[in-house]
Amino acid sequence: MNVSQRKKDLVMDSVVTVILLVIMLAMLYPFYYVLILSFNKGTDSLLGGIYFWPRNVTFENYAAFLNDPQWYKAFLVTVVRTISGSALGVLLTCLVAYGLSHRELLFSKFYFTMIIFAMYFSGGLIPYYVVLRSVGLLNSFGVYIIPSMLSTFFLLIAISFFREIPGELKESAYMDGANEFVTFYRIILPVSMPLIATMALFMGVGQWNSWVDSAYFVQSDNLRTLAYRMMEVINKSNAPMDAVGAANSASSGVTSYSLQLSAMVVSIAPIVCVYPFLQRFFIHGIMLGSVKG
Amino acid sequence: MNMDSRAMEAVNSEQGRIWKRFKKQWMLHLFVGIGMIFLIVFSYTPMFGIIMAFKNYTISEGIIGIFTSEWVGLKHFDEFINDYQFGTIVRNTLALSLLKVLFTFPAPILLAILLNEVKNGAFKRFAQTVSYLPHFISWVVVVGISFAFLSTDIGLVNKALLRLGLIDMPLDILTNPDYFWGLAVGSAVWKEMGWWTIIFLAAITGINPSLYEAAKIDGAGRLARIRHITLPGMQGTIVVVLILTIGSILGGGLVGSNFEQAFLFGNSINNPTSEIVQTYAFKVGLKDGRFSYAAAIDLIQSVISVALIFSSNYIAKRISGSGLF
Repeated sequence: MNVSQRKKDLVMDSVVTVILLVIMLAMLYPFYYVLILSFNKGTDSLLGGIYFWPRNVTFENYAAFLNDPQWYKAFLVTVVRTISGSALGVLLTCLVAYGLSHRELLFSKFYFTMIIFAMYFSGGLIPYYVVLRSVGLLNSFGVYIIPSMLSTFFLLIAISFFREIPGELKESAYMDGANEFVTFYRIILPVSMPLIATMALFMGVGQWNSWVDSAYFVQSDNLRTLAYRMMEVINKSNAPMDAVGAANSASSGVTSYSLQLSAMVVSIAPIVCVYPFLQRFFIHGIMLGSVKG
Repeated sequence: MNMDSRAMEAVNSEQGRIWKRFKKQWMLHLFVGIGMIFLIVFSYTPMFGIIMAFKNYTISEGIIGIFTSEWVGLKHFDEFINDYQFGTIVRNTLALSLLKVLFTFPAPILLAILLNEVKNGAFKRFAQTVSYLPHFISWVVVVGISFAFLSTDIGLVNKALLRLGLIDMPLDILTNPDYFWGLAVGSAVWKEMGWWTIIFLAAITGINPSLYEAAKIDGAGRLARIRHITLPGMQGTIVVVLILTIGSILGGGLVGSNFEQAFLFGNSINNPTSEIVQTYAFKVGLKDGRFSYAAAIDLIQSVISVALIFSSNYIAKRISGSGLF
C-alpha cells in the first residue's frame, strides 16, 4: 500500500470514527440528561444551565414518585401486566405453535392461511373496540393481556424453532406414554429456553411501554399504566408554563416536571439493563419476521 | 350401481383414514383450536365489523347491532370527504408518511455502511448496541425527552441558545405547526435508525470477503469498494425492507407509529399539521362516540394500505424477480 493511499485510509477512518461518536453522543446524552435532572431539585432544574451533572442533588423526586398513589399504582399495574402478559403470551403462543409445528397435522394449510391473513388485514380500531366491549374486556385489566396473548409474529418464529428440534426427543416421550401436552410441557419447553427468553423479553418490553390500550379501552383510574400517566403529563404540559412550572406543594422542591423525569427514569432503567443481552436473538428474529410477515 | 357403491366405499375409507388421523392428533387440534379462537374473536370478528362503516350504528346496540342496524350506504364516506378538515387531514397523513420513509429509510443503510468500515470490533459492537437503545423506549418517553430538550420554557436547547445569545426568543419547535413534520421525522430517525441497521449490517456480513480482496488487488479504494461491493451486496435486503416499509407507510412505515407521534407531539397549536387520519378517527370515534363515521374513515386508510402492499409487492416482483408473496 503506498503512502497516499495510507493517508486516505487514515482520513476516512477518522471521519467514520467522528461521525459514529457524534451519533453515539446523540443517542446517549438525552438519557443521561434525563437521569441527572431526575436527581436534581425540581425547582432548581427550571432555571436551566445543567448539562453534565446535577447541581442540587436530591432523591426527593423519587420519594415523591413512590409516595404519589397515582404514580405508584400505575407502576404496580405496569409491573403486573408486564409479568403476567409476557408469561401468558409465551405459553399460549408456544402451545399453538407446538400444534402447528407437526408437519403431518391435518388442515394445517387452513390454519396457516388463517394466521397469515390475520397478519395482513385488520378490522381497524372501531370494530375492535366493539368486540372488546361485547366480550366484557373493556375497562378491565384483562384488556392489557388477553387480546395480545397470541402473537402471530412469534407464532411463525416459534413454529420454525420447534421444527428444528430433533424428532427423537418427542418419539421417546411418546414411547413412555406421554400425551402431546405432557410432551410439550416436559420435553419441548425445557429445550426451547432461548426462544422463550427472546419472546418473553420482547413481549415484556411491549407490555412495559404500552399506553395506547390504556387510552383506548380503559376509563378506570386504578388501571392506568406508567406510560399512560407520563402521556397525561405531556398532554397537560402542552399549554406552556402550565403544569411544568407548578410546584407540587409549596414546601418541597418537587415539580410535576421533575416527578415526570423520575417516572421516565423508572420506565427506562429496566430496559437499559435487559436489552443488550437480546442482541444475539435479534438478527434471526428480524430476518424471519421480515421474510414471512 | 356397482361402480357407485365402490366409489362410496373409497370415499368412506378415505374419510375413515382422515378420521383416524384426526383422532390420533386431537390434542394438537385442541392447541391450535385455542389459537384459532383468539384469531376469530380478536382479528376476524372486527373484520366483519367493518360493515358498520356503511350503517348507522350506535354502541348501545352491542355487537349484534353491527348486523341489524340500518344501512346508509356511503353516507359516512360522503360526510368525511365533505368535511372542512378533510383536505388538511389527508395532506398531513400523506406528508408525514412520505417524509418519514424518505428520511428514515436511507439512514440505517448509511449507518450500517459506516459501522462496517470500523476495524476495531469492540468499538463497532459498542456503537451498534448504543445506536438501537432508543428502539426499546416507548414513544411517550421519547416525547418526554423531547420536552426536556425543546420546550420553550425549560428546554435545554432553548436555554443554551438563549444563554449564548444566538436567539432572542425561544424556538417554539414543539408547538409551531411549521416544525411538526421535521420533529416527527427527526425523532423517528433518532429512535429507529439503529434498530434497522441490524438487518442491513447482517446483509453486509453475508457478503463474500474474497470480493473485497479482489477489489483491493484491482486497486479499488474504500469508497469504490463501498459503491461496487457493499451496496450491491445489500440490494436484496434493501428491496425486502422497502416493500415492507411501503406496505405499512400510512401507519408510519417500519419506524414507529404515526398515530403515537401525532397524538403525543400534537397539540391544539400545531394541529393544522399534526392532525392525521388516525388521530381524527380516534377523536370522532372513541371520544365523540360516532362509531360508524370513524369506522368509515379507518376503512379508507385500510383500503389504501392494502392497495399499497399489493402494488409494492407487484413492482418488487417485476424489478427483482422476488416479492414477499
